[in-house]
Order: sequence, then C-alpha cells, then structure tokens
Amino acid sequence: MGAKRILTLNVNGDDYEVVCAPNTTLLEALREKAFLTGTKRGCDLGACGACTVIVDGEAILSCITLAVEAEGRAIRTIEGISDGGDLSPLQQSFVDHGALQCGFCSPGFIMSATELLEEDPHPERAEIQRRLAGNLCRCTGYVKIVEAVEAVAQGAEGGAR
Amino acid sequence: MRLPPFEYYQPATLAEALAILSEVPGARAVAGGTDLLVNMKHRVEQPPALVSLSRVSGLAGVRTEDGATVIGGGTTLKQVQHDEGLRAKFPALTQAAAVVGSYRHQTMGTLAGNLCQNTRCRFFNQSVEWRSVRALCYKAGGDYCHVMNKADVCFCTYHGDTAAALLVLEAEVRVEGPGGARQIPFAALHSREGKTPLALGAAELVTAVVIPDGSASNGAATGGSTYLKHALRGAIDFPIVGAAVWRGGDTMRVAFTGVDRSPIRAAILEEALAGRTPSADLIAEVSPLAPKGATITRSTLQPGSFKRELMSALFARAAGSLL
Repeated sequence: MGAKRILTLNVNGDDYEVVCAPNTTLLEALREKAFLTGTKRGCDLGACGACTVIVDGEAILSCITLAVEAEGRAIRTIEGISDGGDLSPLQQSFVDHGALQCGFCSPGFIMSATELLEEDPHPERAEIQRRLAGNLCRCTGYVKIVEAVEAVAQGAEGGAR
Repeated sequence: MRLPPFEYYQPATLAEALAILSEVPGARAVAGGTDLLVNMKHRVEQPPALVSLSRVSGLAGVRTEDGATVIGGGTTLKQVQHDEGLRAKFPALTQAAAVVGSYRHQTMGTLAGNLCQNTRCRFFNQSVEWRSVRALCYKAGGDYCHVMNKADVCFCTYHGDTAAALLVLEAEVRVEGPGGARQIPFAALHSREGKTPLALGAAELVTAVVIPDGSASNGAATGGSTYLKHALRGAIDFPIVGAAVWRGGDTMRVAFTGVDRSPIRAAILEEALAGRTPSADLIAEVSPLAPKGATITRSTLQPGSFKRELMSALFARAAGSLL
C-alpha cells in the first residue's frame, strides 16, 4: 500500500531528490532522507514546535506535514538560516542573551521567530509571546528567549538576517 | 511515531477529489492534517487512503455573495483571523480562529478542517501503548465506552473553537458531494453522535461557510460578537470550554464548545434572555442557566462541575464585554 515515489524537495534553495512513501512526514524526509538533522523531532504530534520549518514563508509543523505535500514548495530549515559560518542576527541574539541551554528546542524557536520577524520586523512583546507560544523549552524558561527576539525586533541586532 | 501506510491522492480539482472520495472505499479528505494525522499516529484513525485538498483550486478565500459573506473551506485559520472584513463584521469568528492551537496550527489548519475535526476523549486521543491496558473503546473499534461504563455508546466531546462562533453567527455550510451541492444550517453539520460526529456522507466535503450580513457587528452600542476560550495551556490544548456570544440590540445568542458531542446553542439561557434588555444585572441573574441542556461527561480530565462553572463564567464575561 502506498507506493514509494521520488520527490524533489527544495530545501534552503537546493533540490533534494528523496524516495518517500506517502506516509513519510516532512520531518522524516528532512532528517532521514536529506540528512538535515538540524530540525528536531520532539513530541512528533504537533504540540512542542521543535520540528518547525518555514514552507512558502509560513512556519509549519513538519512532524504532521506529509513530505509529498511539500513538493514544489520552498522549504527553509535551520541549516539555511546561518550564512556559512556566520550566525544570523537572531541566532547571535540567542547566544548573547543566553536564550538556550541544551539547544534542542532552539531550531524550532529560531524558525518561528525568523518567520515572525520577516513578516513583521518590529513586533510587540505580546505578539512575540503569542507567536512563540507553541514552542516548548524545558531548560531556560521563556524570558530570555523572548528578550532575544525582542532585541532583534527593536533593531539592536539589525534584523532577522 | 510513524504514520500508518495509506494510498495518497493529490487531485487538482474539486470534482476530481469528490470522485476519488466516492470511488475509493474508506478514503478520507485531508487539508491541514493537524487533527487527522495526529489521530493516525495514535492509530485511532487508519484510513486506507487520503485525498489531499491542498492543491485543489478555488477552496480558499473570502468573498461576498448577495450581501452574505462566503468563506472558502480551504481558507486557513491564519487567513481568517487576518481578514480585515471578517475582523470588523464577525469578531467572534476571527477571535476563535486566533486561539486554535498554536500559531503553526493556524498557518496549516483550514476553517473547514477545524469545523470537521474529530471529537475527543481522554480514552480515545492516546497512544497505542496508553490505550493497550484497557479494552478498545467503542469509538476506536471496540464495544465499550470507558467514560460511561456502558457498551455501544460514545460521548466523545467536540472541542472545535470556530464552530461555537459560527453557531451564534447563524452561519450556513455549503456541502458538496457526488449528489451535487447543498447548503445546510450550521447546526445540521454535526450529528451529536460521539462516534460519527459529522452529519455528512462519506464523500461529502464542506466547501464554504456562509455568514448572513444580519450577524455582522453594527456598532459597539447595539451589537457585536465575541469568543472566549479557557484551556490549560493556551497554545497547546483544546478548549475545556469555549463560549461565543452574539448581540444584536436586545437579542443575545450563546453557544458553547467542549461541553457536548457537538457544539451547542444554549437554548435555555437564550430563552431566559429573550425580550429583556441586556444589562450586568440580567447577565448575573441568568448566567447559572448557561450549562442547562449540555450533556457534560468525564471525557476530559476536568470534572463536570468545573465545566459548568466555567460555562457560566465565560458567558458572563463574554456577554459583559458586549454591553
């Protein structure tokens, strides 16, 4: 049931040809077929936000998105956020504010916040909190994370990218 | 957690999608997938085939037809909450769309998907391992309801947010199937059966929601609508109780979600409000009637007494904001 097919997934501007069954999620395709393991598998049920990626400009949960649904769309993952070895201003802000400890949730937070800042470069604190509310962090608490995004939003770090 | 295997179809037109749904036994339509795919991972739903609606053209967007507002079923919850016209005319709907799950559920989930989501229960929405210590519940394919301690019944509860708003806005639903298109009152969409929550044929789809202009807000003094949700964790949990209130002059309509097998209008409460000018005193007087008529069961972790108090409190707060 559900014959495998060859999909061309455009991830961070590069085309990846991957062989997927229909029941392969985008998260599984990214991690296990394209070997882009920056995107994390947390709850795997769409509740924790660790698997957040940006598809056609919208933050989505890759663990409950089928890989076949992402074909022909522009997928962005944490690997595409930094420019070579240079961190994005948002990533740098996370480092500067100590907004991470174990780092497992960070790719999801960075993708959510990147999408927010690209849509609205100067969001209010309440909007930052609302947009990040579906990302769970078990180490730091959320104050430093919100402060890190706020610093970029207020221009101290010079934009999302 | 892997998804179970299934055949996958990706039609480009609605006619094609309806044809596949009626020809392939057990096929299910999927839009955002935020409800269905999670249930499939839990193996409580295992359709042999999925028909994706993501590439079907013409299902999304907001337009006006003969004065009524028509929202395509494929419109995402994010699009619904950001539509300026909807925000001005039907704030209950845009407020409800803004509190569904997390922001990412709103970019993925569609209005029709939110309305057609499955009912929920603490014995049903669980992993295979969690459920393996008991006999299969009636809804999951067994014959016993662990909530009611009875055979062959299901009291799974409906928890969709936007449905309560559309009930008080007296919306209608456009349904298309192999037999053609029909438009039904919103209350006729849900069956009030826990196991089969939708009163639709297997190959029928909700293609649009139609809201009459008479339900539009017409100034803070005389009318408007609002939706309030109470959940344990705002961005993760379904509402324990969600309350929608609409006011037009002296008339108030009230609906709840999370308290029965379908979203419900609070008929007894509305009767007590009928013909009387809304005031803080009146709201305080009638708010104990809010839970009357709802069949609340222990399908969630919260006891019924808590839900009943919440219904009164949320109604009072929502109605109070429309005075």
